[in-house]
Amino acid sequence: MTEAAFRLRDIVQVFPGVRALDGANLTVHPGEVHGLVGENGAGKSTIIKVLAGVYQPAEGHIDVGGTAISPATPEKIHAAGVRFIHQELHLVPHFTVTESVFMGQELAGPMGLATTRMRRAAEAFMRDQLGSALPGNRLIRDLSPAERKLVQVARALIDGEARVVVFDEPTAPLASEEVLKIMKAIEQLKSRGIAILYVSHYLNEITELCDRVTVFRKGKDVAVFDEITADTGTELVSAMIGRELDAFFPATSRQAGEVALRLQGFSDGQTFEDVTLDIRRGEIFGIAGLIGSGREELVDALYGLRRRASGTLTLDGTVLDTQSAANAVANGMVLVPRDRRHDGLVLPMTVEENATLATLDESSSLGLIDRKRIREVTQKLIGDLDIRPANARAVTRYLSGGNQQKVVLARWLAKSAKIFIFDEPTVGVDVGAKSEIYQLIENLASEGAIILMSSSDPIELVGTCDRVAVMMRGEVRTIIEKDALNVDHLVAMTTGATDMPEVAHAG
Amino acid sequence: MEHVSAKGNFNLRGIVVRFGFLIVFALFFAFFATWNPVFISGNNLLNIVEGSAILMIIALGMTLIVATGGIDLSVGIALDFGAAFAVVAMKTYDMGWGSAVCAGLIGGSLVGLFNAALVVGLRISPFLATLGTFFIGSSVQRIFTNGGGPISHRRMPDGFRNIAQGDVFGIPSEVILAAVLVVIYYLVLERSVWGRRVHAMGMQRSASIVAGIRVNRILIACFVFASITCAVGGLISAANIRMFTPLSGFSYLLDAIAAVFIGAALHPRGRPNVLGTVAGVLFLGMVTNGLNLMGLNFNTKDALSGIILVSALALAVAQRNMRNADGD
Repeated sequence: MTEAAFRLRDIVQVFPGVRALDGANLTVHPGEVHGLVGENGAGKSTIIKVLAGVYQPAEGHIDVGGTAISPATPEKIHAAGVRFIHQELHLVPHFTVTESVFMGQELAGPMGLATTRMRRAAEAFMRDQLGSALPGNRLIRDLSPAERKLVQVARALIDGEARVVVFDEPTAPLASEEVLKIMKAIEQLKSRGIAILYVSHYLNEITELCDRVTVFRKGKDVAVFDEITADTGTELVSAMIGRELDAFFPATSRQAGEVALRLQGFSDGQTFEDVTLDIRRGEIFGIAGLIGSGREELVDALYGLRRRASGTLTLDGTVLDTQSAANAVANGMVLVPRDRRHDGLVLPMTVEENATLATLDESSSLGLIDRKRIREVTQKLIGDLDIRPANARAVTRYLSGGNQQKVVLARWLAKSAKIFIFDEPTVGVDVGAKSEIYQLIENLASEGAIILMSSSDPIELVGTCDRVAVMMRGEVRTIIEKDALNVDHLVAMTTGATDMPEVAHAG
Repeated sequence: MEHVSAKGNFNLRGIVVRFGFLIVFALFFAFFATWNPVFISGNNLLNIVEGSAILMIIALGMTLIVATGGIDLSVGIALDFGAAFAVVAMKTYDMGWGSAVCAGLIGGSLVGLFNAALVVGLRISPFLATLGTFFIGSSVQRIFTNGGGPISHRRMPDGFRNIAQGDVFGIPSEVILAAVLVVIYYLVLERSVWGRRVHAMGMQRSASIVAGIRVNRILIACFVFASITCAVGGLISAANIRMFTPLSGFSYLLDAIAAVFIGAALHPRGRPNVLGTVAGVLFLGMVTNGLNLMGLNFNTKDALSGIILVSALALAVAQRNMRNADGD
């Protein structure tokens, strides 16, 4: 066994009223990608800050490359070659790639700034170390989110001193295809013997990318997986929530009814073609598909957010007008969008304002809002969905992902819609709230609502759906019935199994 | 985010965050009152209010547009058009004062419709669209008046003149008009379903669309409503001086924007809002009046009022930033 790249032992970190870390351990070896997972509040970000020297733990040992560092300060940690790729980018939009990479660490020559040398160095680094042919004179604002992330990585590593790199949720703002770029870059770093700690909510990324995984729960490392197998995903979830997966998804004895909602010949002329689906009342109907399969675009077109070239939607035989989102809502179809922070909530508004945004007419007289009534409605919704904090006047920007999603749900529950579209309903939601959201969806279906669930998470689809349509390259390839629905089969169908893209497990 | 919130830490910062602007308001008031006691005479206070009436009306329109997430640089054009249409209706077409008022309001609404067409139809950003409207509207006035000469109408019907020069129980009619509009705007923007949707749209358009709000309709209505409001300001101005002076509306633009942003900073969540705008307008009116009473020469006064305005805005923005940093 080689020397560990860094080792944190028996770390205890106490905040007023909370033991955020309670004897936590984390060891990462050179040349491995080590995953760190856990629910929100499990202590992931705390231990990263301990490693960074931001927090001084009450107890415990930190060593980097075999040398104990005590007390750990940000300067010492940096000098030891530990680099952090934070979730936020902190890049200037109007700077070029080169300027951004060398910001604060510019190279100087006899004539002032050595611009050409810096550009060559930045481009060479992007190419050789991160596998990206990004020109040094491109502006940050013209880059895709993944490319910006790579610039951020280059900035942290350009001095060539890095031994350990910590990625904190690097893919959170990215589309799935963009994620591949980041993963490729991480693979390259790993092949150079750099130790990588990869923190993410996305278990599929963890299982694809990581060699080993540490699971945190309640401030401790509760499990370390030394090998990643096909079952690791579900095992990780069990370890994170401390109960079995069966208990995680709601049990159901629900029977789906007649076919009620019909999509016929939906096309947008570019990304999906001739999608025809029959969905039953009281059914949770899943749509699976990678990015680029047309799944997200189909959802947008269904809800009037995207122009459709053709396609009709009928409910119980009558045509349903959802050409605009406003029409969709008026006709009883609602969407819980995938990008909650942009499309789901008006973030600067309060829980009350967001939760009642679609039902204001019902709590008003003569066009004026009945403030007492609306407060009552909100309090009831907060109670029903267990939104925390239970404060109608809390600004939604500061709520956790799970509670934000509950506010979006609350809005549509108040609307008593007939058709619910859930697009990635639990992305960025902690495991506890996930379970509650699944139960809510199940309840809606039991009450006879029609539910469409579009998701990139196969576990979620298998756990909640009655049937799942698999989209690929703009077409519905197959519909998997309940008795054939399992994660392996679904993933195989979604990824096209035979022509699966080669991503991880290279090393 | 909550870790460092001031607990038992009675600090200056907390007071500034909460009351910063009100303190400044009070300090100025006290300063002007001590400098010249005439400042706090009932007559003078009424002067301040009366002198602020047109700005108040323009600033209300501006508040609505800023609440949609945009800005309206053509408020002055709507004012000019309101005045021009009314004066021409009476002078050239010999209309009665009621019809002239309608003509003025219609004239103003044309400006709003044009803005709406640019912003909603052609998807030009409100800043550029209304800047374009401003230039086009200015040119139209110059062409129409052969280079910008005023159109005076001495024998204006009394009914029309009363818009500015009448009074009810001693309260000047322009103050009453402004007050009525304040009440209407308050109810519409802060209390009504429609106003809630305007705010939602202004803060996060994409989320408002997904929530089923018809954002384009709202935007069109806002531009038209705001420009009609500004046209009311034009009617008052025309009635006051019994003429239409081309390009006179422009002078209200910066003050109106300043008033709205001062008002937004007064709001606990930094939103543009009607009561805040009222406070902003009164602050600006007080400063102008106070500086006048100090008997400074014209140029010094202008420079001072500019400095005060910029400082007030800086304070307002700082106050909002501090508040945001505190996580409320």
